Amino acid sequence: MSNLCHERLKLLICCVWVGFAAILVLPVTGIAQEQAEDRQALLDQIEMIEKRLNELKARALEPDPAPAYTLAGMPAQQMPQMARPTGGQQAQAPSAEASVPEEAEQTVQERLAELERRVSELESTTVLSEPETRVRQVQVWVDENGIEYDHEVPGSRPVITYQRERVFRRQTISEKIEEALSEEAESSVQVGVDAAIVPQGAVQVEGDDTEANGRVYQLASADLFFTARIAQYTLFFADVVGLTGPPPDSEIPGLTLINGYTARLVRQNELNVREAWVRTELFSQQLAINAGRLDLTNYFDRNAGANDETSQFISDGLVNNPALGLSTNGAGVALVLDPRRSVNFKIGFQQSNTDATSLSDSIFSLAEVGYLATPFSLGEGNYRVWGRMDNSTGNNRTAVGVSFDQKLAPMVTLFGRFGTSQSDTGRDHFYSSGLSFQSGLVVNPSDTWGIGYAQGQLATGEQEKLVEGYYNLGLTERLRLSFHLQYFKEWGIAPRPVAYLVPGLRLQASF
Amino acid sequence: MSNTRRLMGIFGLTAVIYGALAGVTVPAQGIKITDPTSVVLIVNRDSNDIGFMDLKTNTMIGKVFLGNNVNPHMAMMSPDGRYVVTGGTRANKAYIIDVPTLTLAKVVPVDIAPEHLAFTPDGRYYYQGNPDGDTLSVIDMASMTEIKRIAGFAEPLNVTFTPDGTKAYIGNYGSHWVGVVDVTRHELLKKIQVAAPPGVAKLDPDRYLSEIKGINNASITNDGRYLYAADSDLGVVGVIDTREDKVVKVIRVGKDPWRAYMSHDGRYAITINNGDETISVIDVSSNRVVATLDAGPDMTGVNFAAGKAFVISSSTSFVYVYDMDSLKPAGRIKIGTNLQLETATTDTADEKLYLASSTDHSIYVIDGRTEDVTRVANVGLFPWGTHIMDSKDNYCH
Repeated sequence: MSNLCHERLKLLICCVWVGFAAILVLPVTGIAQEQAEDRQALLDQIEMIEKRLNELKARALEPDPAPAYTLAGMPAQQMPQMARPTGGQQAQAPSAEASVPEEAEQTVQERLAELERRVSELESTTVLSEPETRVRQVQVWVDENGIEYDHEVPGSRPVITYQRERVFRRQTISEKIEEALSEEAESSVQVGVDAAIVPQGAVQVEGDDTEANGRVYQLASADLFFTARIAQYTLFFADVVGLTGPPPDSEIPGLTLINGYTARLVRQNELNVREAWVRTELFSQQLAINAGRLDLTNYFDRNAGANDETSQFISDGLVNNPALGLSTNGAGVALVLDPRRSVNFKIGFQQSNTDATSLSDSIFSLAEVGYLATPFSLGEGNYRVWGRMDNSTGNNRTAVGVSFDQKLAPMVTLFGRFGTSQSDTGRDHFYSSGLSFQSGLVVNPSDTWGIGYAQGQLATGEQEKLVEGYYNLGLTERLRLSFHLQYFKEWGIAPRPVAYLVPGLRLQASF
Repeated sequence: MSNTRRLMGIFGLTAVIYGALAGVTVPAQGIKITDPTSVVLIVNRDSNDIGFMDLKTNTMIGKVFLGNNVNPHMAMMSPDGRYVVTGGTRANKAYIIDVPTLTLAKVVPVDIAPEHLAFTPDGRYYYQGNPDGDTLSVIDMASMTEIKRIAGFAEPLNVTFTPDGTKAYIGNYGSHWVGVVDVTRHELLKKIQVAAPPGVAKLDPDRYLSEIKGINNASITNDGRYLYAADSDLGVVGVIDTREDKVVKVIRVGKDPWRAYMSHDGRYAITINNGDETISVIDVSSNRVVATLDAGPDMTGVNFAAGKAFVISSSTSFVYVYDMDSLKPAGRIKIGTNLQLETATTDTADEKLYLASSTDHSIYVIDGRTEDVTRVANVGLFPWGTHIMDSKDNYCH
């Protein structure tokens, strides 16, 4: 019994050992078997390739066929491996070769495939295939002994440096040219031109006769823009403008300008620096600072529907809020904090008097808060509230205003402005509103049009009401023609109210 | 004693069975990736390889070198996760990579400058667009050969299959039409014109003749019913009904729209308009633009995560963020300085973005919720794009 137990115990131990052995051996044998199969498959494949090569070699050593056997008219001597026609000429072939047409066809196909491959290779390799050398900005870590590492080590500090690297990038000639032109453009001063011709007529429809009735006016304007990148996130911009011609505002007095371009007119037939400033962006480019000769209306009281006399309404009463009070450009600073969320903030200072003898004179200080809203499931709307102080008269006079543009539909925008400003005798008030249209409701895709109404009421009793409609036709990417019809009525300027109908054109080229 | 023997017997038998099973279940040597959904692919254009990075640890598992001057453009994983395919733009070849072993399984000669590609939903074929050859290569994944080359396109960029896999829609950047391909026969069936150039184009022939920027991609809705094809030159998005293969609506968006990106919930299509540096948000149910929002220059793509849209501005090193509930801007993320951002993919949980940054050879992982950014450096030279299996934001530029 004892022996029997002993034998069983031995058997069990044996089983245990077999088990452990299986754990160790079977995976290895499984891998080995798999590898052996793979190896055999490879050997079989190699054998097949060798066989095919030998066949091809044997065929290549066969004597040249008769010149009669050609492919696409090419003498067969030039294509020794393509000497087996399969068409109507096959009947004339020697009987010994008639047994291999399929093989010949196969050879031809292989040959064609090889030619295609070579053409494809040539198409690739005839471009620049040399390793390309380029300089990259890299971050390295430098220890106190000046030793540079590509990873952080104790006691090291991160340093941004530049290093050359060579890469295998194949580029076509056109890509290289495009790259070179792009680099050239980035490092040079960009020049832009905006030229406009604005003929307008005046028809007096109410009031005592004036000399303007029935007269035609024309103002031509040319702006030259210069833009240059001078440092990281820093830009220089200058706008030199020249104007010539008599505008209607010289003969038709009003609270606001009939032609917004007239605001740019300093002296006829002379070039004037309209703007010249440097812009830099700080704090992850959330704060933009513009300093130099500025036009603060480019930053404050903006409006998507009515803000630009070169492309939208031409009446100054619709382009800007007269309550802002900025009459001319001047030295100043504008700070725009835009965290790219729904709210943005702006503050700015600008001198608006060309006769000022120091920067302390005639300073306009402005602040604005802007908010992006989407009320009542409408499209986006921009709402702005601003305040202004002006020391040009020796006392600080204030003005406040709002400006909004709200999309009612993708192609319709409602806009409006209100402003009130302090004057010698009380407060002046200005209102404007209108609609602008684009897409869908136009002849050409890039056309826009709008209708607007503005009203000004001075504390002295003078009053102005104006209506304007325009259609801006996009003739080409760089050329636009717009048609304007303005109606002005003025109170308090003449003994009786006067009103004018002013039709006009604006031909504008930008490039 | 009897119990002891029984126990030992059971133990011995268990050991034998385990040993036998171990021989079957232990992965073969050389297996590097067992779960294809656990990696992000990185297309390294200048080091000419495809990198594989672990999604959990953000560490590189390996790279598959394709050859010098191959310059891969876009990579995609097969629906079963077994293979990765990529087009070697400057080698005129398609490359098929075996994912488990990270080895090059096959190189297939195709037409000139292969770039974007897509698999049929069943994974049987993949269509490789060859924009410079104006063709599509049909690669059979069973034989790993090009079984057909479909001609007749004009700079075919992207391929979109219908969910049932019967048709493919091809964006032609060199024209203003979308090609419809019968996937059963691999034939170009018809050309759907998205919109005609405006009549005023006659006054400005130079603009329309010098260079054409047509349709990059036809982006499909979640139900597969409609396609949104943006035409860059014309500044419109054509909505195509896939049942009738006709344009049912033309929506005007901003200038020079690159393509439409579909939000994951299927409510919106966003176009990035590089001409006026805005994005247009299209409500898919009403097919109208519900918001046009300021963005940045040189935008290359849109990703969706954590209820937000992330818009990549390539040259500014910023990613612009938009709240998809309020359709308002929600700030922007500064990725770095002097970087060139390329494209990104989003993980399947819609939580993290994997953004390729080519000039510093890095991948930036952006947490969609917190907007924290983690840099993974030295992933390869000039990473051009990323891809995650089953991600809804797999695209290229």
